[in-house]
Amino acid sequence: MNILALVKEVPDMTKVNFDCERGVVDRSSAESEINPFDINALQTAVNIKNQYGAKVSVLTMGPPKAEKSIRDAYARGADEGILLTDRKFGGADTCATAMTLSAVIKYLGNFNLIVCGEKSVDGDTAQVGAEVAEFLDIPHAYYVDKIIEITNENITVEIEEICGSKQIRKMKLPALIGVTKNINHPRLPTVNRKLESLEIDVKTISLEDLSDYISEESTGFKGSPTKVSKIEIPRTIKRESLILRDDYNSFKEIIKNETKGARR
Amino acid sequence: MDNIGILILAEHKNGSIHKISYELLGKAKELAKELHEPISCLMVGPTGIDLKELNQRGAETVYYIKSNVFSNPEEYLYKKNIVEFIHERKPKIVLIGATNFGRSLAPRIAAALKTGLTADCTDLKIDEDGNLVQIRPAFSDNILAHIKTVTYPQIATIRYKEFSEAEKDSSIKTNIIEIKTYMDSCSKSEVLKMFSDEKDDITEAQIVVAAGRGIRKKEDLKMIQDLADKLGGVMGASRALVDAGMVSSAYQVGYSGNRVKPKVYIACGISGAPQHLAGMKESGTIIAINSDPSAPIFSIADYGYVGDIYEIVPQLIRDLSQEETWN
Amino acid sequence: MELKTINGLIDIVGDDYVITNPTQKISYMYDQVEMAMRPEANENSIVVKPKNADQISKIMKYASENNIVVVVRGGGTGLCGACTPTRESIILSTERLNKIIEIDEDNMVAVLEAGVTLYDLLEELEKHESVGFPVHPGDEGAQMGGMAVTNAGGARAVKHGVMRKHIQGMEVVLPSGEIMELGGKLIKNNAGYNLMQLIIGSEGTLAVVTRIILKIYPKDKYSATIIAPFENFDDASRAVLEILKSGTTPLAVEYQDKHLFVDTAKMLGTQWQAEKGNADLMIIISEKTEAALYETCGMINEICEKNNSYETLFAGKKSEQDELLLIRSQHYELIKDIIGHSFDTAVAVADVPAYLKELKSLAKEYNTITNITAHIADGNIHSDIVLVDGKMPPYAEELKEKIFKACFKYNGTITGEHGIGKLRIDDLKLQKSSTELGLMRGIKKLFDPCNILNPGTVIEV
Repeated sequence: MNILALVKEVPDMTKVNFDCERGVVDRSSAESEINPFDINALQTAVNIKNQYGAKVSVLTMGPPKAEKSIRDAYARGADEGILLTDRKFGGADTCATAMTLSAVIKYLGNFNLIVCGEKSVDGDTAQVGAEVAEFLDIPHAYYVDKIIEITNENITVEIEEICGSKQIRKMKLPALIGVTKNINHPRLPTVNRKLESLEIDVKTISLEDLSDYISEESTGFKGSPTKVSKIEIPRTIKRESLILRDDYNSFKEIIKNETKGARR
Repeated sequence: MDNIGILILAEHKNGSIHKISYELLGKAKELAKELHEPISCLMVGPTGIDLKELNQRGAETVYYIKSNVFSNPEEYLYKKNIVEFIHERKPKIVLIGATNFGRSLAPRIAAALKTGLTADCTDLKIDEDGNLVQIRPAFSDNILAHIKTVTYPQIATIRYKEFSEAEKDSSIKTNIIEIKTYMDSCSKSEVLKMFSDEKDDITEAQIVVAAGRGIRKKEDLKMIQDLADKLGGVMGASRALVDAGMVSSAYQVGYSGNRVKPKVYIACGISGAPQHLAGMKESGTIIAINSDPSAPIFSIADYGYVGDIYEIVPQLIRDLSQEETWN
Repeated sequence: MELKTINGLIDIVGDDYVITNPTQKISYMYDQVEMAMRPEANENSIVVKPKNADQISKIMKYASENNIVVVVRGGGTGLCGACTPTRESIILSTERLNKIIEIDEDNMVAVLEAGVTLYDLLEELEKHESVGFPVHPGDEGAQMGGMAVTNAGGARAVKHGVMRKHIQGMEVVLPSGEIMELGGKLIKNNAGYNLMQLIIGSEGTLAVVTRIILKIYPKDKYSATIIAPFENFDDASRAVLEILKSGTTPLAVEYQDKHLFVDTAKMLGTQWQAEKGNADLMIIISEKTEAALYETCGMINEICEKNNSYETLFAGKKSEQDELLLIRSQHYELIKDIIGHSFDTAVAVADVPAYLKELKSLAKEYNTITNITAHIADGNIHSDIVLVDGKMPPYAEELKEKIFKACFKYNGTITGEHGIGKLRIDDLKLQKSSTELGLMRGIKKLFDPCNILNPGTVIEV
């Protein structure tokens, strides 16, 4: 069985600075890392490999320095990493990204299962996985918190919540699953494997390699139907405390007003 | 461009309409004032859902693709039907609830239509050219992006509980059009079982009512739980109570417990040790009740009340129960 | 406490900051000493929360004129009962002295009020690109004043030493109420006896610290945590000595009995990932560059493998490292209810294996167990006597003496980092000569002639 884990390199969110004066996100102070949700996806693939036997590949699209994430994925148990990188891919929205990823998947061929994380911590969209599934015309399930069974033809999964219930779903392979953080507890890499990962070759693929599968017009900024027109950075609210004593009625009104919009 | 109107994808839950659909209608009515185009709803679902309220809350036409194959939500089959419908009717804007199902289904629809999708919007506007401006948070809610879609339809999913429900007018005549299914089976994906498993999750809660050392014994936590229930929130606790064995660590808020970020955090008898503050200071509004006016919790609270929780909390529960108009 | 005193204090700090209500006072009476060992607080004590050194000066004047005991309280994270008022006292909480006055990047110092918590400091330093403060005693609720007067240590002493090394200046209030400046932003300063170093480690018995000037350092930007599992402690310990000799100094090397790692992880809802082995080391390294980090990592791995370690594990992401550290620091929650007596002895690093063996065999001799947690690369070992049926066993005193005897055999100390406080006053006499104790008494009398500042702590006069 061939499993592909889709990962995204994101900035360490605890270190990103947001400049509210200029509406700019400053990533320079932040190291990049694999999107935390995608580590669960990778672990899912590795667990399946350990249980059923499989080859685990990992694919990321990003600038050349994103090869660091491929190395990290190798340390965590991937057998092979592919970096999809080309200036022309820059500025892609989820649609163009998914279009490009699905082109590579067709180019590489032969994957039985594609695994991705619930969402990314920077974009927060949770769209790319399902869009890839659509472009490949394969079934998908999101919010998977358990793999129940895999055979050569099918995968059966449990979905954490959909329309108020849990759901057990059986899909024909090839299929795509998006997994939750609860599906597993990611394992630490061994020191040996971590050091080894610094030495491996990372395979890179550019737009030219994909010429049979996708045109330049469908990728990057050009291929993106959505455009960001403005970024706003909300100011962190400085808390001005209003401390009351002996004025219960005002306090009660505050509780009522503040909780109004948030009630279940 | 011949696309016209706003289409709302209604969602069903346990055989009735999911409230998110009314919230989408609420926002759609606002947009329609600028856009001057009609609002319609599409329900894909099992038989027997009463849809008249969608009309009464603002949908001029309600389309119903009705079949029991839709009892168990599954994206592939839903997508096929919805995409065919959209091809035929050509709406300009499609709004979908950002529930788990909506988040999973919307990208499939958008990809099939080769159009843009903006997820998890917290606000929508119409610009001077009559196009949709989609406003959504990103970078873990640190920024707000304004996004425009250059293709049609312009599709957005909307966060649940972000907008208020559209008002209901029972005098409006129903206008429900049933549509034949475009596809009623899918060999690629099959739902085997649905079952429910509900539990309170403090990290997901919009309102947290938390107790600290001010609580003297385990039984007294009931009043905190009661207040949480009254407000539709979830109970939390400081480490002191967890350490004292009064409550399980699933409820613990703090550096070594759960980090929470509800819209409203009500701290009852919590002095505000740094380890606790680390777990809750990102909350929307922080309200503190403590008998010690110098308690550190007051320095990060938006509102504070200096008083005994054993008086205030029961009083609040009583008052909230009595005021029916409020609930 | 007399009403007159209460009113006198209210005149100084205001109505809101004198606490007399019993349920509110109680959280100011104890530190984190185990229930079974806690000295009992005098519940007639009251709490006062001054805002600045001037108010503290007035409080001390009032107390010395009226001969009232004052006990200073910081974050309450201590482990020797030093801040528990065993006599009727004014508990002077420094929590409102919480201003970060200055982060001076040119001189690489931070000027802080005594009530600034370690958490506040680290949060503030996060905002600065390249500075940090390395001493970390575990609980970030600890306040700077408390960390100074207890000479706090913690896991990172291997690389960075203890608090004493990092304090350059202080403002203190003497028991008489006089305010005094000691040291400053100076690196060299040989003018007379260094009273500041005397106050560091004095556990609130000589003066009230109100402000400190703390050294800050360029941040090590890259860090990793290695878990090295060994079949037995001897192998693990040999690896530690070799690592220390290799020329690379880890930030911390922590040892903990295997069951503590495994069960604490379970308690926290996660999993201890080193399945094999009986003696696991947690080695934390920090370096200025990524390349240096991996080089150190490779070196340590090689030494571990040479000493028969199982496959070592690598945590590089902050969240992964935080989780490991949490498992390390929360073990105490797991066992705190069964601990009767806990020890903080320290021996020379090379003597650790032999000393540990003696601790284990002493426990066996009394048919009991001991839980070991050790800052193994600085020789500081935490062991315990566990309760039997919830009660202190009858042999506790006898066993304690034997443990100390073993410790002295290796020229060790009864406390490496927690201090004497009110718990170990008698034990100190076992370790120190009467001449040394006499000098300590003399110093105490010079600073505090009326014996009003935290009496019954460190040394009785």
